[in-house]
Amino acid sequence: MRITAGYIPNIGETKFDKKILKFQDLEVELPLLTLEQMQRVIDTVKRESAEILKSLSVSTVVDIIGYVTEQFLDRSSSYRQQAEKLLPIVTGYDEEVIRLGLTSFLKTFRKHELQRFLVEDLGNPLLLDHFQPRAKGGFSKAIGPELITHVWAGNVPALPIWSFVSGLLVKAGNIGKVSSSEPLFAGWFAKALAETEPSLANCFAVVWWKGGDEKREKMIFEKSNLVIGYGNNETLKALKKQVPITTRFLPFGHKVSFGIISKSALDAHKAWRIAHQAALDVIRYDQQGCYSPHLFYVQKGGKVSPVEFARLIAGELENFEKRYPRRKLSMEESVALASWRQKEEMSTFTETGKEVLGTSTHQWTVVFEEEEKVFTASPLNRVIRVISFEKLEDILPYIKPYRSFLQTIGMAATPKELFHWAELLANVGVTRITALGKMTSPEAGWHHDGRFNLMDLIQMVDIESSAIVDSEQFAPYVD
Amino acid sequence: MTQQREIIEELSQFIKKNQASEEEFNSLALHIFNYQYKHNLPYQTFCRQKGKTPRLVKNWRDIPYVPMSAFKEVPLTCSDPEAAVRVFMTSGTTQGKQGKHFHSTLEIRELSMIINFKERFMKETNRIRMGILFPTEEKMPHSSLAHYLALVMKEFGTEDSCYLLKENGVHIQKIISELEHAEKTGEPFALLGASFSFVHLFEELERLGKTFNLPKGSKILDTGGYKNKSKELDLNEFYQLLERYFGVDRSNCINMYGITELSTQFYDDGNEVVPSIKTGPSWIRTRVINPLTGEEVPEGERGVLVHYDLANFNSVMAVATEDVGMAVDEGFYLFGRVQGAEVRGCSLAVEEFIQLAKGTAK
Repeated sequence: MRITAGYIPNIGETKFDKKILKFQDLEVELPLLTLEQMQRVIDTVKRESAEILKSLSVSTVVDIIGYVTEQFLDRSSSYRQQAEKLLPIVTGYDEEVIRLGLTSFLKTFRKHELQRFLVEDLGNPLLLDHFQPRAKGGFSKAIGPELITHVWAGNVPALPIWSFVSGLLVKAGNIGKVSSSEPLFAGWFAKALAETEPSLANCFAVVWWKGGDEKREKMIFEKSNLVIGYGNNETLKALKKQVPITTRFLPFGHKVSFGIISKSALDAHKAWRIAHQAALDVIRYDQQGCYSPHLFYVQKGGKVSPVEFARLIAGELENFEKRYPRRKLSMEESVALASWRQKEEMSTFTETGKEVLGTSTHQWTVVFEEEEKVFTASPLNRVIRVISFEKLEDILPYIKPYRSFLQTIGMAATPKELFHWAELLANVGVTRITALGKMTSPEAGWHHDGRFNLMDLIQMVDIESSAIVDSEQFAPYVD
Repeated sequence: MTQQREIIEELSQFIKKNQASEEEFNSLALHIFNYQYKHNLPYQTFCRQKGKTPRLVKNWRDIPYVPMSAFKEVPLTCSDPEAAVRVFMTSGTTQGKQGKHFHSTLEIRELSMIINFKERFMKETNRIRMGILFPTEEKMPHSSLAHYLALVMKEFGTEDSCYLLKENGVHIQKIISELEHAEKTGEPFALLGASFSFVHLFEELERLGKTFNLPKGSKILDTGGYKNKSKELDLNEFYQLLERYFGVDRSNCINMYGITELSTQFYDDGNEVVPSIKTGPSWIRTRVINPLTGEEVPEGERGVLVHYDLANFNSVMAVATEDVGMAVDEGFYLFGRVQGAEVRGCSLAVEEFIQLAKGTAK
């Protein structure tokens, strides 16, 4: 089967070179634009978004995006059915995992949640429409860029629409480059937007080019006011090199997240539920998200000991494996995982108290370690480390060196501990604390990596009070 | 006679005979497994954890294999590591830890190398003038490849054979004079060395605009891939360049595949067609497995190579590599080391993390 992907606005021609990406029996055809065609896409998106998108009120934009989101949430809509059918093939994730993941993710972009985005960042969303009075005096307006270029990455399905929707909310022209590992969803979303509101059809584009195409990147970035890049630090460094000084660059690098479980949460009844929630965070997209846990720190002294808790998680992972099997791994991933696991098994000979739990087919692995004094990343794909601790203060020094890479903590603790630990973790660089089971579903309006979704995209224009006072004397009705 | 001596004697006979039925291979493999289970304690623990003891294992395919990385973690040896006559180490890796292969004697390893090399590289020739593109054993005492090349030069090289490297790369004048000498006299010449050194040599020869036409009977042996030490050439280009610069038919350009953790090497029968099929002698067997399940993959599918090398009697006979291959009737295709797993999401990858950890350690 062959399908087309991407979204090109009307630039007066429809014939493009093609790039074919293969996923098992599915061929995905993406338009491959010449530099000249790219130039016309840029001009079109800039012009039309300035004329049309920027003339809409923000509440109209919210209505349109909210409507499109509802389409993708509705299991009887063709958009949704297409996504449920094709995303499992392209990403390799189980159908049920995709279905649940999409719903939980898309809920964040319903109308009332979009309003939350706006209020969270701006306080007064009308700032995006007109000059608004400020408490300090004077007036301000928030202006979105002429053009935002998004360089998306990874295969967590649908993830690109975080930045795409943010760009639309600030009424910017948007051009997004999809990654080869999930080239579909952003294009579908763009198409649905254009079908919902045909006047917006030329305000955005979803394209593909081979990452590292320096000439093309340089050309596009020079015409953009803002470039949002996703990827590892090496990719981001390469992108940054092509971004001129007059264009702002917002890099989102890879992150490490983990869980912390207090002994107060570990009695016989509650521990099982927490292990269930923790395992859910592990199986969702097989830990590929920046908010997915690499390890769980479990406090000693509860009714359920850390090693018992590790076994509980193992049991839950085994249960989930039956209902939501792991994505089929590539040879590279299989080798990495097998050799990692075998190495862990070998090290149990010399490290007392260490346990490696798993099945012979390596569908998941739990490693338990007693007060291990290191902070290490997981090879992912349902591999989790459980480390016991006495006091949070004991583990902080091992986490601290990774400050710029820390993101989410999934926490199970008393309210008092929650706030006390949050203070300590905030100081070492953590930017989000959430409940276990919610690690992979950030709230609408969250501060992604501690930053703002919309504030970082806009520029404020101030009319100072002196200008207003001064203008009074020139009014025709001045006395 | 000690148990070790017994095994050595039995192995020597086996290797010298150089042909074995499935039963004969199985029988000696189980004998050695028994010996290793008894004397190699970390391995014993490993086998117990897998629930595979000599009492339960009846077929060599069931003998538990250890990953190459295990050689980095624990001393895998049946004799006192302190008393080893030689320790070969893997080249440094991203994790900075080196794998160690302890040898209580080099007797079997050398016998394995000599008999196999004669059959697969020398064939009917007894001695040939050799030039080695690799450092000497003295320079690299822990390199198994340096030991291999020194041994083949001693056993099969003429008196005039020599090393062709200097401190900072290939010794181009010496190489040119050796190659010109061969052209002039018509005496067959063999160039042996690391694949990446050949790439460096191509670059030098291109710069000088020189090509050679070595006399009939000349051969080339390359091994080990590029290891980020030179430009990465694809296989076809590599052998094309060997043919172009030295005038040696691709059928006489042999690639050797060996790893520090083993004591026996694999060869192909030339590289007219790439990838070539690799085969080993009667005392080593290879399975191609799914690394997650450990099951053999169906023929024609890619998997990871696991070698059962009887000559590895002092360490662990069964070693799982990180090399991807595919089984065919006569042997296997080697597709090379798996590259780091591709990052799919936005979660930090282990490799990245290790780099980072190294950075913060500085």
